[in-house]
Amino acid sequence: MLRRFAISVLLVLVCVCAPARTRPHYGGSLRVEVAGDPWQGPDGPARRLVLDGLTALDANGIVSPSLAVEWQSDSGDHRWQFRLRQGVHFHDGSPLNSAAVVMALNTACSTNCPWTAVRAVGSAVIFTSDSPMPNLPALLGSDAYLIALTRTADGQTPANPIGTGPFQFTGSNNGTLTLTANESCWQGRPFFDEIVIAGNRPIREQWLDLSVGRTDIAEVPPQELRQAQQQHLAVLVSPPVELLLLEVSDAGTLTNAVLRAAIAQAVDRGALFNVIFQKQGEITASLLPQSLSGYAFLFPADRDVNKANELRGGLTPPALTLAADGDPTMQLAAQRIALNLREAGFNVQVANAHNAAHADLALRKLPLEGADPAAALETLLRGAGENVAVEGRNPNALFRAEHDVLDLHTIVPLLDLPRAWAIGSRVRDLKLRADGTPDLASASLEGTQ
Amino acid sequence: MKAMRLVWVVAALAGLAGAAAHAAPGAWEQPASELADQIAAILGPGQAHLTIRNLSSISNDEIPVIRRLLVQDLKTHGVVMAGAESANTIRVTLSESARDRLWVAEIDEGNQTQVAMVDLGPIAAQTAATQERMELHKEIYLNAAALVNGSTAVSDGPVTALVEAGTRLFVLYKDNVMIFARNADHGRTVEASLALDLKRPMPRDARGILIAAADGNGFTAFTPGTECSGAFSPPADTAAPQNGWTINCRASDEPWPVAVDASWTPQLKAFYNSARDYFTGVVSPSVGVDLPPFYGAAPLPRSAGSAALLIDGVDGKVTMAENGALKVVTGTRDWGSDFAVLHSGCGAGVQVIASSSGEVANDSLRAYELPALEAAPASAPLAIDGTVTALWTAPDGKSVLTVVRNAANQYEVDRVTALCN
Repeated sequence: MLRRFAISVLLVLVCVCAPARTRPHYGGSLRVEVAGDPWQGPDGPARRLVLDGLTALDANGIVSPSLAVEWQSDSGDHRWQFRLRQGVHFHDGSPLNSAAVVMALNTACSTNCPWTAVRAVGSAVIFTSDSPMPNLPALLGSDAYLIALTRTADGQTPANPIGTGPFQFTGSNNGTLTLTANESCWQGRPFFDEIVIAGNRPIREQWLDLSVGRTDIAEVPPQELRQAQQQHLAVLVSPPVELLLLEVSDAGTLTNAVLRAAIAQAVDRGALFNVIFQKQGEITASLLPQSLSGYAFLFPADRDVNKANELRGGLTPPALTLAADGDPTMQLAAQRIALNLREAGFNVQVANAHNAAHADLALRKLPLEGADPAAALETLLRGAGENVAVEGRNPNALFRAEHDVLDLHTIVPLLDLPRAWAIGSRVRDLKLRADGTPDLASASLEGTQ
Repeated sequence: MKAMRLVWVVAALAGLAGAAAHAAPGAWEQPASELADQIAAILGPGQAHLTIRNLSSISNDEIPVIRRLLVQDLKTHGVVMAGAESANTIRVTLSESARDRLWVAEIDEGNQTQVAMVDLGPIAAQTAATQERMELHKEIYLNAAALVNGSTAVSDGPVTALVEAGTRLFVLYKDNVMIFARNADHGRTVEASLALDLKRPMPRDARGILIAAADGNGFTAFTPGTECSGAFSPPADTAAPQNGWTINCRASDEPWPVAVDASWTPQLKAFYNSARDYFTGVVSPSVGVDLPPFYGAAPLPRSAGSAALLIDGVDGKVTMAENGALKVVTGTRDWGSDFAVLHSGCGAGVQVIASSSGEVANDSLRAYELPALEAAPASAPLAIDGTVTALWTAPDGKSVLTVVRNAANQYEVDRVTALCN
């Protein structure tokens, strides 16, 4: 009875004393920890804070204006004109103009670009191409084409990245980046005064720091999501925003498309999903997830070792190498795939990421960005090194485009994975971007003024 | 008994959810016909076995209807249904992405499979109405299309304030003021779009106040660090720029009018901290007590005929300045950062309309009465299709206007009124 009374009193006190939600407060320093390099994508959050693109994807993945305020195409999407926002300045005070944008884009993309030429005409930037660029506005919102100043007013190459974003780069020490608020940001001053991003922090240490208040935001890899929930961390989870895939070389031994088809049949996605990634994300054999295309179920994801053996037809190919992106989970997944392939008669050795360029097989994650299926597919294929423009907006055309790519068996989709972040109690109004990274520029801290 | 009641509630909710997935009769005729056309073009006349599976939010009750339509349409193309032993199989999947419905047919002819698809377009959103003793109603005052189409400048900025005076409607955006004129048919057309020469960038949480001249021939816009005055003088010819409107902006740290009377005369002004996006607490004229920094304030008539000032503090506390004292108002935990006073005539006559706390994707609005220093709900929450970014009392006092940002990041202005039960 006494206990119930005490709980009731406590609840009343909480209800009476708890303040209402307020507008976000300005000020304070946010601390973030990541496992990789804070500057390099896809998980490094710093680039998006310092640099803007000509366009941006909003939280729903819709293309929206950023440094460009409007755009139009003609000549059947062979030519695009983007009109720049006026009055925007780089962090060093130099004005954003079309010449600076062209130099930045030429620096960001020298080969395999979606365009053939880009040039400045007045306050506009013009892209031309020999082939149509139907998805250019969406592509320009991706990480690859963010605008950084390439030459300062005195003609020097900047020592640190200079952009137009809500934060400016102010320091780097032992893998820790310090960014400070851009007071005159065209999007409005961000709420935090400063963001400190510590890189190369092991996940367990990030979580420990979060629990003792040494950091405000920590990473949660998909395979650790359940453990984070068991530890009662407050976790923000995105929808699937990354595709785990196996790239299969079409050179050397694997010039034979039938052998590549055998490899695709031999991979056990279920084991990756259940064991390595702890039932997070979704098994897939398609490039676009079901939530984006509606037809992903048309690509069967079941393993068929008999079919793989049948396709291999008694051939014993020479040893193949399989490289995987850095972290231990990817190495583990690569080991598992090598085991699958050995069961289907392939001799596969796992190599580290440094040998990826020369490997026969590579395990990679690629971003699934935006709400436009055609643009997302083109971004994905460009990430995989395919220089293709995905045309057509109707599902039939998209399905055919995807089917044609997958029929080559040079890309074997495996899992659609989410991104997740553990959030400390001081942080409020934090939302995830369309790419699953935290939108730090729009969040704020409790209790600062 | 309680468990029984719960079962009924769950059953009722399940019924509602099921109903939401039902389409109007005839909704499936067109896609069924299109899919049958594509299937017949692949298969040609003959026999086939048809299976249907449902991976979508369409109710399973609808499957027999869809099947019947497909069978009828296929028959008109000479494709007749056969048993599972048929060499030809049509596997139809009712599917959907996060946005659109998609029907897919996999057509097996021998060992060859071909695919046909029909895109049904967006999945319709369903909403449910609520009923309570005092009901809040909303109507669209200015829809997103009007706000976007009317803008000749950058249209990705938020609406921060809106006033109606004379025959004109003034809308303050992040970086311009749009003036809409009323047509003979009571519609609105854009009369002018005046860019604000901002003397400092707007903060991320853009705010502003707009005051109009009573005859609608002028306005003053207050934004952080900048004050702009607009004036109208009848143009000599129809080709005059901005139809005779001019605007002048200047750097300013003058106090903002946070409360005006029916003739747009400021009743209370407050100094604004442009760097931190809140009012400092210094107001003119004085209310007899030092105020804390606050985000918003509204005069609230009290029962004794006096007036109090309701304050939304930067610290999250709602306080009331009354009779030279500052008192904390309780029961405001669910309040968001915006409120406005409504003279509804219901109950105590005056309510405070507050936005919800913003902890869910969509906000809501709710009426509260403050007979003493405790806010008591006076209506059920009114669901809003997005986030409330600004809220203020309309000039007539009998309605409040709210700016809502929807999931597509578009803005609309809604008018909220109360119906007494």
